[in-house]
Amino acid sequence: MSKRKQRIADAVIFVVLLLGGLTMLVPFLWMISTSFKEPGSLFDLPIQLWPEKLHWENYQRVLTAVPFARWYFNSLVLALGLTFLNLTSGALAGYAFARFSWRGKDVMFLFSLITLMIPAHVLIIPLFIIMSRLGWIDTYYALILPGLFDAFAIFLMRQNFISLPRELEEAALIDGATPWQIYWKIALPLAAPALATLGTFTFLGGWNAFLWPLIATNSIEMRPLTVGLAVFNTQFTTEWTVLMAGLSLATIPPIIVFLAAQKYFIRGLTLGSLKG
Amino acid sequence: MSSYRRFPWLFILPSLVGFFAFNAGPILISLVLSFTQWDVFDPLNLGAVVDSWVGLENYREMARDPVLHKAFWNTLYYVLVAVPLEIFISLMVALGLNRDFPGVKIVRTLYLLPTVTSVVAVGLLWRWVLNPYVGPVNLFLRWSGQQLEAFFGFFGLDAPGVVHWLATQGPGWLSDERWAMPGIILAAVWAGIGFRMLIFLAGLQNIDKTYYEAASLDGAGPWQQFWNVTLPLLSPTVFLNTLLALIGGFQVFGLIYVMTGGGPLDATNVLLFYLYQKAFGIFPPDMGYASAIAWLLFAFLFALTVVQWQLRKRWVWEEA
Repeated sequence: MSKRKQRIADAVIFVVLLLGGLTMLVPFLWMISTSFKEPGSLFDLPIQLWPEKLHWENYQRVLTAVPFARWYFNSLVLALGLTFLNLTSGALAGYAFARFSWRGKDVMFLFSLITLMIPAHVLIIPLFIIMSRLGWIDTYYALILPGLFDAFAIFLMRQNFISLPRELEEAALIDGATPWQIYWKIALPLAAPALATLGTFTFLGGWNAFLWPLIATNSIEMRPLTVGLAVFNTQFTTEWTVLMAGLSLATIPPIIVFLAAQKYFIRGLTLGSLKG
Repeated sequence: MSSYRRFPWLFILPSLVGFFAFNAGPILISLVLSFTQWDVFDPLNLGAVVDSWVGLENYREMARDPVLHKAFWNTLYYVLVAVPLEIFISLMVALGLNRDFPGVKIVRTLYLLPTVTSVVAVGLLWRWVLNPYVGPVNLFLRWSGQQLEAFFGFFGLDAPGVVHWLATQGPGWLSDERWAMPGIILAAVWAGIGFRMLIFLAGLQNIDKTYYEAASLDGAGPWQQFWNVTLPLLSPTVFLNTLLALIGGFQVFGLIYVMTGGGPLDATNVLLFYLYQKAFGIFPPDMGYASAIAWLLFAFLFALTVVQWQLRKRWVWEEA
Protein backbone atom coordinates (compact mmCIF):
# COMPACT_ATOMS: atom_id res chain seq x y z
CA MET A 1 0.00 0.00 0.00
CA SER A 2 1.33 3.39 -0.92
CA LYS A 3 2.05 6.08 1.65
CA ARG A 4 -0.76 8.19 0.27
CA LYS A 5 -3.31 5.43 0.53
CA GLN A 6 -2.10 4.69 4.03
CA ARG A 7 -2.62 8.28 5.04
CA ILE A 8 -6.15 8.36 3.65
CA ALA A 9 -6.97 5.12 5.48
CA ASP A 10 -5.61 6.59 8.72
CA ALA A 11 -7.72 9.70 8.28
CA VAL A 12 -10.87 7.65 7.68
CA ILE A 13 -10.21 5.52 10.76
CA PHE A 14 -9.61 8.63 12.82
CA VAL A 15 -12.86 10.26 11.73
CA VAL A 16 -14.86 7.08 12.43
CA LEU A 17 -13.30 6.73 15.87
CA LEU A 18 -13.99 10.34 16.67
CA LEU A 19 -17.62 10.02 15.57
CA GLY A 20 -17.91 6.94 17.80
CA GLY A 21 -16.36 8.85 20.67
CA LEU A 22 -18.83 11.68 20.16
CA THR A 23 -21.67 9.14 20.24
CA MET A 24 -20.42 8.30 23.72
CA LEU A 25 -20.30 11.94 24.75
CA VAL A 26 -23.41 13.41 23.15
CA PRO A 27 -26.01 11.76 25.42
CA PHE A 28 -24.19 13.26 28.41
CA LEU A 29 -24.12 16.70 26.82
CA TRP A 30 -27.79 16.31 25.89
CA MET A 31 -28.50 15.39 29.51
CA ILE A 32 -26.75 18.51 30.82
CA SER A 33 -28.33 20.79 28.24
CA THR A 34 -31.80 19.39 28.96
CA SER A 35 -31.28 19.89 32.68
CA PHE A 36 -31.04 23.64 32.07
CA LYS A 37 -34.03 23.93 29.74
CA GLU A 38 -37.30 25.49 30.65
CA PRO A 39 -39.70 22.84 31.97
CA GLY A 40 -42.20 22.03 29.23
CA SER A 41 -40.12 23.52 26.44
CA LEU A 42 -38.98 20.17 25.08
CA PHE A 43 -41.65 20.00 22.40
CA ASP A 44 -40.67 23.39 20.97
CA LEU A 45 -39.33 23.36 17.46
CA PRO A 46 -36.70 23.87 16.24
CA ILE A 47 -34.93 21.94 18.98
CA GLN A 48 -32.66 24.03 21.11
CA LEU A 49 -29.20 22.54 21.44
CA TRP A 50 -28.47 24.78 24.39
CA PRO A 51 -31.05 26.87 26.25
CA GLU A 52 -30.79 30.62 25.89
CA LYS A 53 -31.39 31.09 29.57
CA LEU A 54 -30.17 28.61 32.19
CA HIS A 55 -33.09 27.27 34.19
CA TRP A 56 -31.66 26.38 37.57
CA GLU A 57 -35.12 25.70 38.94
CA ASN A 58 -34.81 22.11 37.64
CA TYR A 59 -31.99 21.60 40.12
CA GLN A 60 -33.94 23.30 42.87
CA ARG A 61 -36.90 21.08 42.20
CA VAL A 62 -34.97 17.79 42.22
CA LEU A 63 -33.26 18.77 45.46
CA THR A 64 -36.55 19.51 47.19
CA ALA A 65 -39.01 17.03 45.66
CA VAL A 66 -36.98 14.00 46.77
CA PRO A 67 -34.42 13.61 49.60
CA PHE A 68 -31.65 14.04 47.10
CA ALA A 69 -28.98 15.22 49.54
CA ARG A 70 -29.68 12.29 51.82
CA TRP A 71 -29.39 9.84 48.90
CA TYR A 72 -26.11 11.44 48.00
CA PHE A 73 -24.86 10.97 51.52
CA ASN A 74 -26.01 7.33 51.54
CA SER A 75 -24.14 6.66 48.33
CA LEU A 76 -21.05 8.23 49.79
CA VAL A 77 -21.30 6.12 52.96
CA LEU A 78 -21.90 3.02 50.87
CA ALA A 79 -19.02 3.63 48.48
CA LEU A 80 -16.52 4.75 51.12
CA GLY A 81 -17.55 2.11 53.64
CA LEU A 82 -17.30 -0.64 51.07
CA THR A 83 -13.91 0.63 49.95
CA PHE A 84 -12.58 0.76 53.49
CA LEU A 85 -13.85 -2.71 54.34
CA ASN A 86 -12.66 -4.19 51.10
CA LEU A 87 -9.16 -2.74 51.34
CA THR A 88 -8.77 -3.70 54.98
CA SER A 89 -9.92 -7.29 54.83
CA GLY A 90 -8.53 -7.88 51.34
CA ALA A 91 -5.06 -6.60 52.16
CA LEU A 92 -4.93 -8.52 55.45
CA ALA A 93 -5.95 -11.82 53.89
CA GLY A 94 -3.86 -11.18 50.81
CA TYR A 95 -0.81 -10.66 52.98
CA ALA A 96 -1.51 -13.85 54.91
CA PHE A 97 -1.81 -15.87 51.71
CA ALA A 98 1.38 -14.31 50.38
CA ARG A 99 3.63 -14.63 53.41
CA PHE A 100 2.24 -17.11 55.94
CA SER A 101 1.88 -20.83 55.63
CA TRP A 102 -0.49 -22.96 57.62
CA ARG A 103 -2.31 -26.21 57.21
CA GLY A 104 -5.26 -25.91 54.91
CA LYS A 105 -4.02 -22.71 53.30
CA ASP A 106 -4.28 -24.07 49.75
CA VAL A 107 -7.78 -25.36 50.33
CA MET A 108 -8.85 -21.99 51.72
CA PHE A 109 -7.40 -20.20 48.75
CA LEU A 110 -9.12 -22.58 46.37
CA PHE A 111 -12.46 -22.01 48.06
CA SER A 112 -12.14 -18.27 47.82
CA LEU A 113 -11.38 -18.58 44.13
CA ILE A 114 -14.44 -20.78 43.65
CA THR A 115 -16.66 -17.98 44.98
CA LEU A 116 -15.57 -15.90 42.00
CA MET A 117 -17.53 -18.35 39.88
CA ILE A 118 -20.75 -18.01 41.85
CA PRO A 119 -22.72 -15.16 40.33
CA ALA A 120 -24.03 -12.51 42.71
CA HIS A 121 -27.65 -13.26 41.88
CA VAL A 122 -27.44 -16.60 43.69
CA LEU A 123 -26.57 -14.72 46.87
CA ILE A 124 -29.17 -11.96 46.96
CA ILE A 125 -32.15 -13.96 48.22
CA PRO A 126 -30.36 -15.66 51.14
CA LEU A 127 -28.48 -12.45 51.92
CA PHE A 128 -31.77 -10.63 52.12
CA ILE A 129 -33.14 -13.30 54.46
CA ILE A 130 -30.04 -13.22 56.67
CA MET A 131 -30.03 -9.44 56.82
CA SER A 132 -33.71 -9.25 57.69
CA ARG A 133 -33.27 -11.84 60.47
CA LEU A 134 -30.45 -9.73 61.84
CA GLY A 135 -32.70 -6.69 61.63
CA TRP A 136 -30.22 -4.99 59.33
CA ILE A 137 -32.39 -4.42 56.28
CA ASP A 138 -32.60 -0.70 55.62
CA THR A 139 -29.38 0.03 57.49
CA TYR A 140 -25.85 0.76 56.34
CA TYR A 141 -24.79 -2.65 57.70
CA ALA A 142 -26.80 -4.45 55.06
CA LEU A 143 -25.39 -2.23 52.35
CA ILE A 144 -21.75 -2.51 53.31
CA LEU A 145 -21.02 -5.70 55.27
CA PRO A 146 -21.37 -8.16 52.36
CA GLY A 147 -18.14 -6.58 51.10
CA LEU A 148 -16.25 -8.07 54.05
CA PHE A 149 -15.15 -11.01 51.95
CA ASP A 150 -14.08 -10.31 48.40
CA ALA A 151 -12.08 -12.97 46.58
CA PHE A 152 -11.00 -10.50 43.92
CA ALA A 153 -9.52 -8.13 46.50
CA ILE A 154 -7.71 -10.97 48.26
CA PHE A 155 -6.35 -12.29 45.00
CA LEU A 156 -5.19 -8.88 43.81
CA MET A 157 -3.48 -8.06 47.10
CA ARG A 158 -1.87 -11.49 47.33
CA GLN A 159 -0.34 -11.14 43.87
CA ASN A 160 0.90 -7.71 44.83
CA PHE A 161 2.51 -8.81 48.12
CA ILE A 162 4.16 -11.78 46.42
CA SER A 163 5.74 -9.44 43.91
CA LEU A 164 7.31 -7.26 46.64
CA PRO A 165 10.95 -7.99 47.56
CA ARG A 166 11.30 -9.96 50.76
CA GLU A 167 14.63 -8.54 51.92
CA LEU A 168 13.18 -5.61 53.83
CA GLU A 169 10.70 -7.79 55.67
CA GLU A 170 13.39 -10.38 56.45
CA ALA A 171 15.69 -7.71 57.87
CA ALA A 172 12.89 -6.41 60.06
CA LEU A 173 12.15 -9.94 61.27
CA ILE A 174 15.78 -10.39 62.30
CA ASP A 175 15.59 -7.08 64.15
CA GLY A 176 12.75 -8.56 66.17
CA ALA A 177 9.71 -6.93 64.58
CA THR A 178 6.39 -8.76 64.95
CA PRO A 179 4.47 -9.91 61.86
CA TRP A 180 1.91 -7.21 62.50
CA GLN A 181 4.56 -4.48 62.64
CA ILE A 182 6.12 -5.76 59.44
CA TYR A 183 2.77 -5.76 57.72
CA TRP A 184 1.71 -2.35 58.94
CA LYS A 185 4.99 -0.47 58.69
CA ILE A 186 6.72 -2.12 55.72
CA ALA A 187 4.49 -4.20 53.47
CA LEU A 188 1.35 -2.08 53.45
CA PRO A 189 3.05 1.21 52.51
CA LEU A 190 4.78 -0.58 49.65
CA ALA A 191 1.39 -1.81 48.46
CA ALA A 192 0.01 1.71 48.10
CA PRO A 193 -0.37 1.58 44.27
CA ALA A 194 -2.28 -1.70 44.47
CA LEU A 195 -4.48 -0.27 47.22
CA ALA A 196 -5.18 2.79 45.08
CA THR A 197 -6.16 0.53 42.17
CA LEU A 198 -8.44 -1.59 44.27
CA GLY A 199 -9.83 1.46 46.06
CA THR A 200 -10.79 3.39 42.94
CA PHE A 201 -12.34 0.31 41.49
CA THR A 202 -14.33 -0.51 44.62
CA PHE A 203 -15.44 3.07 45.16
CA LEU A 204 -16.92 3.34 41.68
CA GLY A 205 -18.41 -0.13 42.00
CA GLY A 206 -20.08 0.88 45.26
CA TRP A 207 -21.30 4.20 43.91
CA ASN A 208 -22.85 2.49 40.89
CA ALA A 209 -24.14 -0.67 42.60
CA PHE A 210 -27.79 -1.32 42.02
CA LEU A 211 -29.31 -4.77 42.56
CA TRP A 212 -28.21 -5.37 46.15
CA PRO A 213 -28.86 -1.81 47.40
CA LEU A 214 -32.30 -2.01 45.77
CA ILE A 215 -33.10 -5.08 47.85
CA ALA A 216 -31.26 -4.14 51.03
CA THR A 217 -33.09 -0.83 51.55
CA ASN A 218 -36.75 0.02 51.54
CA SER A 219 -37.36 3.39 53.18
CA ILE A 220 -37.03 6.50 51.10
CA GLU A 221 -34.35 7.90 53.43
CA MET A 222 -32.03 4.91 53.18
CA ARG A 223 -31.88 4.62 49.41
CA PRO A 224 -28.54 5.25 47.76
CA LEU A 225 -28.63 7.66 44.85
CA THR A 226 -28.84 5.04 42.09
CA VAL A 227 -31.73 3.26 43.74
CA GLY A 228 -33.49 6.46 44.70
CA LEU A 229 -33.42 7.73 41.14
CA ALA A 230 -34.51 4.38 39.73
CA VAL A 231 -37.41 3.96 42.12
CA PHE A 232 -38.65 7.53 42.21
CA ASN A 233 -38.09 8.51 38.60
CA THR A 234 -41.80 7.91 38.06
CA GLN A 235 -42.34 11.11 40.02
CA PHE A 236 -40.70 12.93 37.15
CA THR A 237 -42.18 11.02 34.21
CA THR A 238 -43.30 14.18 32.54
CA GLU A 239 -40.61 16.37 34.04
CA TRP A 240 -37.67 15.35 31.90
CA THR A 241 -35.78 18.53 32.67
CA VAL A 242 -35.92 17.81 36.41
CA LEU A 243 -34.91 14.18 35.98
CA MET A 244 -31.95 15.24 33.83
CA ALA A 245 -30.88 17.68 36.54
CA GLY A 246 -30.88 14.80 39.03
CA LEU A 247 -28.99 12.57 36.63
CA SER A 248 -26.38 15.25 36.00
CA LEU A 249 -25.80 15.60 39.72
CA ALA A 250 -25.53 11.81 40.05
CA THR A 251 -23.25 11.23 37.09
CA ILE A 252 -20.71 13.98 37.42
CA PRO A 253 -18.95 12.82 40.66
CA PRO A 254 -18.06 9.33 39.44
CA ILE A 255 -16.83 10.80 36.18
CA ILE A 256 -14.60 13.22 38.09
CA VAL A 257 -13.26 10.39 40.27
CA PHE A 258 -12.66 8.37 37.14
CA LEU A 259 -10.86 11.17 35.33
CA ALA A 260 -8.70 11.87 38.36
CA ALA A 261 -7.80 8.23 38.99
CA GLN A 262 -8.09 6.93 35.45
CA LYS A 263 -4.72 5.18 35.56
CA TYR A 264 -5.64 3.16 38.65
CA PHE A 265 -9.13 2.43 37.48
CA ILE A 266 -7.99 1.06 34.14
CA ARG A 267 -5.34 -1.06 35.81
CA GLY A 268 -7.97 -2.47 38.16
CA LEU A 269 -10.40 -3.25 35.36
CA THR A 270 -7.86 -5.01 33.21
CA LEU A 271 -6.34 -6.88 36.15
CA GLY A 272 -9.78 -7.89 37.30
CA SER A 273 -10.75 -9.31 33.97
CA LEU A 274 -7.46 -10.82 32.92
CA LYS A 275 -6.65 -12.50 36.19
CA GLY A 276 -9.99 -12.84 37.90
CA MET B 1 12.57 -16.52 53.88
CA SER B 2 10.77 -19.02 55.99
CA SER B 3 7.17 -17.95 56.21
CA TYR B 4 5.43 -17.67 59.53
CA ARG B 5 4.23 -21.15 60.39
CA ARG B 6 1.09 -20.61 62.33
CA PHE B 7 -2.42 -19.68 61.46
CA PRO B 8 -2.58 -15.90 61.06
CA TRP B 9 -5.90 -15.37 62.82
CA LEU B 10 -5.69 -11.64 62.89
CA PHE B 11 -5.11 -11.45 59.16
CA ILE B 12 -7.60 -14.04 58.02
CA LEU B 13 -10.45 -13.49 60.45
CA PRO B 14 -12.34 -10.64 58.72
CA SER B 15 -12.39 -12.45 55.39
CA LEU B 16 -13.23 -15.75 57.05
CA VAL B 17 -16.26 -14.27 58.79
CA GLY B 18 -17.36 -12.63 55.56
CA PHE B 19 -16.84 -15.87 53.66
CA PHE B 20 -19.05 -17.94 55.94
CA ALA B 21 -21.68 -15.31 56.75
CA PHE B 22 -22.11 -13.68 53.36
CA ASN B 23 -20.89 -16.21 50.78
CA ALA B 24 -20.68 -19.88 51.67
CA GLY B 25 -23.62 -19.70 54.07
CA PRO B 26 -25.95 -17.94 51.63
CA ILE B 27 -25.00 -20.31 48.81
CA LEU B 28 -26.02 -23.24 50.96
CA ILE B 29 -29.25 -21.55 52.07
CA SER B 30 -30.10 -20.70 48.49
CA LEU B 31 -29.61 -24.29 47.37
CA VAL B 32 -31.78 -25.63 50.19
CA LEU B 33 -34.50 -23.01 49.61
CA SER B 34 -34.80 -24.04 45.98
CA PHE B 35 -36.23 -27.37 47.17
CA THR B 36 -38.82 -25.77 49.48
CA GLN B 37 -41.80 -23.49 49.46
CA TRP B 38 -40.39 -21.70 52.47
CA ASP B 39 -42.29 -18.56 53.43
CA VAL B 40 -40.51 -15.38 54.53
CA PHE B 41 -42.48 -15.47 57.78
CA ASP B 42 -41.34 -19.01 58.61
CA PRO B 43 -38.42 -19.34 60.99
CA LEU B 44 -35.09 -20.04 59.38
CA ASN B 45 -34.37 -23.46 60.86
CA LEU B 46 -34.32 -27.12 60.01
CA GLY B 47 -37.90 -27.73 61.11
CA ALA B 48 -39.32 -25.05 58.83
CA VAL B 49 -37.23 -26.34 55.97
CA VAL B 50 -38.49 -29.89 56.47
CA ASP B 51 -42.07 -28.63 56.72
CA SER B 52 -41.87 -26.68 53.49
CA TRP B 53 -39.83 -29.26 51.58
CA VAL B 54 -41.24 -29.93 48.11
CA GLY B 55 -38.35 -31.76 46.49
CA LEU B 56 -37.98 -30.96 42.83
CA GLU B 57 -41.39 -29.28 42.58
CA ASN B 58 -39.94 -25.79 41.95
CA TYR B 59 -37.81 -27.15 39.15
CA ARG B 60 -40.79 -28.98 37.66
CA GLU B 61 -42.82 -25.78 37.92
CA MET B 62 -40.18 -24.02 35.82
CA ALA B 63 -40.80 -26.50 33.02
CA ARG B 64 -44.49 -25.46 33.01
CA ASP B 65 -44.24 -21.73 33.65
CA PRO B 66 -44.89 -19.83 30.39
CA VAL B 67 -43.51 -16.54 31.78
CA LEU B 68 -40.27 -18.27 32.67
CA HIS B 69 -40.04 -19.64 29.15
CA LYS B 70 -40.62 -16.20 27.76
CA ALA B 71 -37.97 -14.77 30.08
CA PHE B 72 -35.58 -17.47 28.95
CA TRP B 73 -36.06 -16.71 25.24
CA ASN B 74 -35.84 -12.99 25.92
CA THR B 75 -32.56 -13.50 27.75
CA LEU B 76 -31.26 -15.54 24.83
CA TYR B 77 -32.42 -12.87 22.37
CA TYR B 78 -30.65 -10.20 24.37
CA VAL B 79 -27.43 -12.19 24.73
CA LEU B 80 -27.25 -13.35 21.12
CA VAL B 81 -27.69 -9.85 19.73
CA ALA B 82 -25.96 -7.66 22.32
CA VAL B 83 -22.84 -9.75 22.88
CA PRO B 84 -21.70 -10.14 19.25
CA LEU B 85 -22.39 -6.44 18.64
CA GLU B 86 -20.45 -5.43 21.73
CA ILE B 87 -17.51 -7.68 20.90
CA PHE B 88 -17.33 -6.69 17.25
CA ILE B 89 -17.61 -2.93 17.78
CA SER B 90 -15.25 -2.85 20.74
CA LEU B 91 -12.66 -4.90 18.84
CA MET B 92 -12.81 -2.47 15.92
CA VAL B 93 -12.52 0.50 18.27
CA ALA B 94 -9.61 -1.07 20.12
CA LEU B 95 -7.77 -1.78 16.86
CA GLY B 96 -8.28 1.83 15.85
CA LEU B 97 -7.18 3.20 19.20
CA ASN B 98 -4.15 0.93 19.52
CA ARG B 99 -1.88 3.43 17.83
CA ASP B 100 -0.38 6.76 18.52
CA PHE B 101 -1.99 9.85 17.20
CA PRO B 102 -2.47 13.18 18.88
CA GLY B 103 -5.42 13.07 21.23
CA VAL B 104 -5.71 9.27 21.31
CA LYS B 105 -5.93 9.29 25.11
CA ILE B 106 -8.83 11.73 25.05
CA VAL B 107 -10.72 9.61 22.54
CA ARG B 108 -10.11 6.50 24.67
CA THR B 109 -11.47 8.36 27.67
CA LEU B 110 -14.60 9.31 25.74
CA TYR B 111 -15.34 5.66 25.10
CA LEU B 112 -14.93 4.90 28.80
CA LEU B 113 -17.40 7.52 30.05
CA PRO B 114 -20.45 5.20 29.94
CA THR B 115 -18.44 2.48 31.69
CA VAL B 116 -18.08 4.55 34.85
CA THR B 117 -21.66 5.77 34.75
CA SER B 118 -24.13 3.84 36.85
CA VAL B 119 -26.46 1.52 35.02
CA VAL B 120 -29.39 3.47 36.44
CA ALA B 121 -28.14 6.72 34.94
CA VAL B 122 -27.50 4.97 31.62
CA GLY B 123 -31.00 3.50 31.63
CA LEU B 124 -32.77 6.74 32.53
CA LEU B 125 -30.67 8.66 30.04
CA TRP B 126 -31.56 6.21 27.28
CA ARG B 127 -35.22 6.24 28.14
CA TRP B 128 -34.98 9.89 27.32
CA VAL B 129 -32.80 9.37 24.24
CA LEU B 130 -35.29 6.79 22.93
CA ASN B 131 -38.43 8.73 23.83
CA PRO B 132 -40.62 8.37 20.72
CA TYR B 133 -41.73 12.00 20.74
CA VAL B 134 -38.98 14.17 22.15
CA GLY B 135 -35.94 11.86 22.16
CA PRO B 136 -33.04 12.70 19.85
CA VAL B 137 -33.06 9.30 18.11
CA ASN B 138 -36.60 9.63 16.84
CA LEU B 139 -36.21 13.32 16.11
CA PHE B 140 -33.35 12.36 13.84
CA LEU B 141 -35.24 9.45 12.26
CA ARG B 142 -38.24 11.66 11.63
CA TRP B 143 -36.09 14.34 10.09
CA SER B 144 -34.39 11.74 7.83
CA GLY B 145 -37.77 10.35 6.83
CA GLN B 146 -38.99 13.81 5.90
CA GLN B 147 -35.90 14.47 3.82
CA LEU B 148 -36.41 11.15 2.02
CA GLU B 149 -40.05 11.97 1.39
CA ALA B 150 -39.03 15.31 -0.07
CA PHE B 151 -36.49 13.50 -2.19
CA PHE B 152 -39.10 11.13 -3.59
CA GLY B 153 -41.53 13.98 -4.00
CA PHE B 154 -38.98 15.89 -6.06
CA PHE B 155 -39.17 13.14 -8.68
CA GLY B 156 -42.94 13.01 -8.39
CA LEU B 157 -42.84 9.58 -6.76
CA ASP B 158 -44.71 8.22 -3.79
CA ALA B 159 -42.35 7.42 -0.95
CA PRO B 160 -42.43 3.78 0.22
CA GLY B 161 -44.49 3.08 3.30
CA VAL B 162 -41.47 2.65 5.53
CA VAL B 163 -40.28 6.16 4.69
CA HIS B 164 -43.68 7.59 5.46
CA TRP B 165 -43.66 5.64 8.73
CA LEU B 166 -40.25 7.08 9.61
CA ALA B 167 -41.31 10.60 8.72
CA THR B 168 -44.47 10.57 10.77
CA GLN B 169 -43.99 8.04 13.53
CA GLY B 170 -40.79 6.01 13.80
CA PRO B 171 -40.24 3.12 16.18
CA GLY B 172 -42.15 3.26 19.46
CA TRP B 173 -39.05 1.86 21.20
CA LEU B 174 -39.60 0.95 24.83
CA SER B 175 -43.38 1.07 24.74
CA ASP B 176 -43.71 -1.18 21.68
CA GLU B 177 -43.41 -4.94 22.14
CA ARG B 178 -41.28 -5.39 19.03
CA TRP B 179 -38.99 -2.44 19.66
CA ALA B 180 -38.48 -2.69 23.42
CA MET B 181 -35.70 -5.27 23.36
CA PRO B 182 -33.82 -3.57 20.51
CA GLY B 183 -34.02 -0.36 22.57
CA ILE B 184 -32.52 -2.07 25.61
CA ILE B 185 -29.81 -3.63 23.46
CA LEU B 186 -28.93 -0.25 21.99
CA ALA B 187 -28.38 1.19 25.46
CA ALA B 188 -26.49 -1.90 26.63
CA VAL B 189 -24.11 -1.90 23.68
CA TRP B 190 -23.51 1.83 24.04
CA ALA B 191 -22.69 1.38 27.71
CA GLY B 192 -20.70 -1.83 27.28
CA ILE B 193 -18.19 -1.23 24.52
CA GLY B 194 -15.84 0.94 26.56
CA PHE B 195 -15.03 -1.81 29.01
CA ARG B 196 -14.65 -4.47 26.29
CA MET B 197 -12.44 -2.11 24.31
CA LEU B 198 -10.21 -1.63 27.33
CA ILE B 199 -9.65 -5.38 27.66
CA PHE B 200 -8.90 -5.67 23.95
CA LEU B 201 -6.45 -2.78 24.20
CA ALA B 202 -4.64 -4.51 27.05
CA GLY B 203 -4.44 -7.66 24.93
CA LEU B 204 -3.23 -5.77 21.87
CA GLN B 205 -0.53 -4.04 23.83
CA ASN B 206 0.79 -7.41 24.99
CA ILE B 207 1.54 -8.49 21.42
CA ASP B 208 5.24 -8.40 20.71
CA LYS B 209 6.00 -5.76 18.06
CA THR B 210 8.70 -7.94 16.49
CA TYR B 211 5.99 -10.17 14.98
CA TYR B 212 4.78 -7.26 12.92
CA GLU B 213 8.28 -6.34 11.87
CA ALA B 214 8.89 -9.91 10.73
CA ALA B 215 5.56 -10.05 8.90
CA SER B 216 6.24 -6.76 7.24
CA LEU B 217 9.68 -7.94 6.07
CA ASP B 218 7.98 -10.96 4.54
CA GLY B 219 5.79 -8.57 2.59
CA ALA B 220 2.54 -8.96 4.52
CA GLY B 221 0.14 -6.04 4.09
CA PRO B 222 -2.00 -4.61 6.92
CA TRP B 223 -4.86 -6.98 6.12
CA GLN B 224 -2.64 -10.07 6.17
CA GLN B 225 -0.97 -8.83 9.34
CA PHE B 226 -4.37 -8.55 10.96
CA TRP B 227 -5.45 -12.07 9.98
CA ASN B 228 -2.15 -13.84 10.53
CA VAL B 229 -0.61 -11.98 13.44
CA THR B 230 -3.10 -9.85 15.37
CA LEU B 231 -6.10 -12.15 15.40
CA PRO B 232 -4.30 -15.38 16.40
CA LEU B 233 -2.28 -13.60 19.09
CA LEU B 234 -5.36 -11.78 20.35
CA SER B 235 -7.55 -14.89 20.36
CA PRO B 236 -7.07 -15.59 24.11
CA THR B 237 -8.32 -12.07 24.83
CA VAL B 238 -11.22 -12.47 22.42
CA PHE B 239 -12.09 -15.69 24.19
CA LEU B 240 -11.99 -14.15 27.63
CA ASN B 241 -13.85 -11.03 26.58
CA THR B 242 -16.60 -13.05 24.91
CA LEU B 243 -16.97 -15.28 27.93
CA LEU B 244 -17.22 -12.29 30.28
CA ALA B 245 -19.73 -10.60 27.98
CA LEU B 246 -21.87 -13.73 27.82
CA ILE B 247 -21.85 -14.15 31.59
CA GLY B 248 -22.70 -10.48 32.04
CA GLY B 249 -25.39 -10.65 29.37
CA PHE B 250 -27.21 -13.51 31.04
CA GLN B 251 -27.36 -11.38 34.20
CA VAL B 252 -28.74 -8.20 32.65
CA PHE B 253 -30.98 -6.50 35.20
CA GLY B 254 -30.48 -2.80 35.88
CA LEU B 255 -31.27 -1.56 32.37
CA ILE B 256 -34.42 -3.69 32.27
CA TYR B 257 -35.55 -2.46 35.68
CA VAL B 258 -35.07 1.18 34.78
CA MET B 259 -36.02 1.23 31.12
CA THR B 260 -39.03 -1.08 30.78
CA GLY B 261 -39.68 -2.89 34.07
CA GLY B 262 -39.79 -6.09 32.03
CA GLY B 263 -42.63 -4.86 29.84
CA PRO B 264 -44.47 -4.23 27.68
CA LEU B 265 -46.29 -7.55 28.17
CA ASP B 266 -43.12 -9.28 29.37
CA ALA B 267 -41.40 -8.45 26.08
CA THR B 268 -38.22 -7.58 27.97
CA ASN B 269 -38.65 -9.80 31.00
CA VAL B 270 -35.37 -11.66 31.45
CA LEU B 271 -34.37 -14.42 33.88
CA LEU B 272 -32.81 -12.22 36.53
CA PHE B 273 -35.64 -9.73 36.38
CA TYR B 274 -38.18 -12.53 36.72
CA LEU B 275 -36.25 -13.85 39.72
CA TYR B 276 -36.42 -10.39 41.24
CA GLN B 277 -40.15 -10.18 40.61
CA LYS B 278 -40.79 -13.57 42.21
CA ALA B 279 -38.69 -12.84 45.29
CA PHE B 280 -39.25 -9.13 45.85
CA GLY B 281 -41.95 -7.89 43.50
CA ILE B 282 -44.97 -9.97 44.50
CA PHE B 283 -46.70 -10.64 47.75
CA PRO B 284 -46.29 -13.13 49.29
CA PRO B 285 -42.83 -13.62 47.84
CA ASP B 286 -41.96 -17.00 46.40
CA MET B 287 -38.42 -17.39 47.70
CA GLY B 288 -38.21 -21.10 46.89
CA TYR B 289 -39.16 -20.68 43.26
CA ALA B 290 -36.95 -17.61 42.90
CA SER B 291 -34.01 -19.57 44.34
CA ALA B 292 -34.66 -22.33 41.83
CA ILE B 293 -34.49 -19.74 39.05
CA ALA B 294 -31.19 -18.55 40.48
CA TRP B 295 -29.76 -22.06 40.22
CA LEU B 296 -31.16 -22.55 36.74
CA LEU B 297 -29.36 -19.39 35.69
CA PHE B 298 -26.22 -20.56 37.42
CA ALA B 299 -26.46 -23.89 35.60
CA PHE B 300 -26.62 -22.05 32.27
CA LEU B 301 -23.62 -19.95 33.13
CA PHE B 302 -21.69 -22.98 34.29
CA ALA B 303 -22.55 -24.99 31.19
CA LEU B 304 -21.68 -22.02 29.02
CA THR B 305 -18.28 -21.68 30.65
CA VAL B 306 -17.55 -25.39 30.28
CA VAL B 307 -18.62 -25.46 26.64
CA GLN B 308 -16.62 -22.35 25.85
CA TRP B 309 -13.63 -23.85 27.58
CA GLN B 310 -13.89 -26.95 25.43
CA LEU B 311 -14.30 -24.94 22.24
CA ARG B 312 -11.36 -22.86 23.28
CA LYS B 313 -8.96 -25.48 21.97
CA ARG B 314 -10.45 -25.16 18.51
CA TRP B 315 -9.97 -21.50 17.92
CA VAL B 316 -7.77 -20.00 20.60
CA TRP B 317 -4.16 -19.87 19.55
CA GLU B 318 -1.83 -20.59 22.40
CA GLU B 319 1.89 -20.16 22.50
CA ALA B 320 3.63 -23.51 22.65
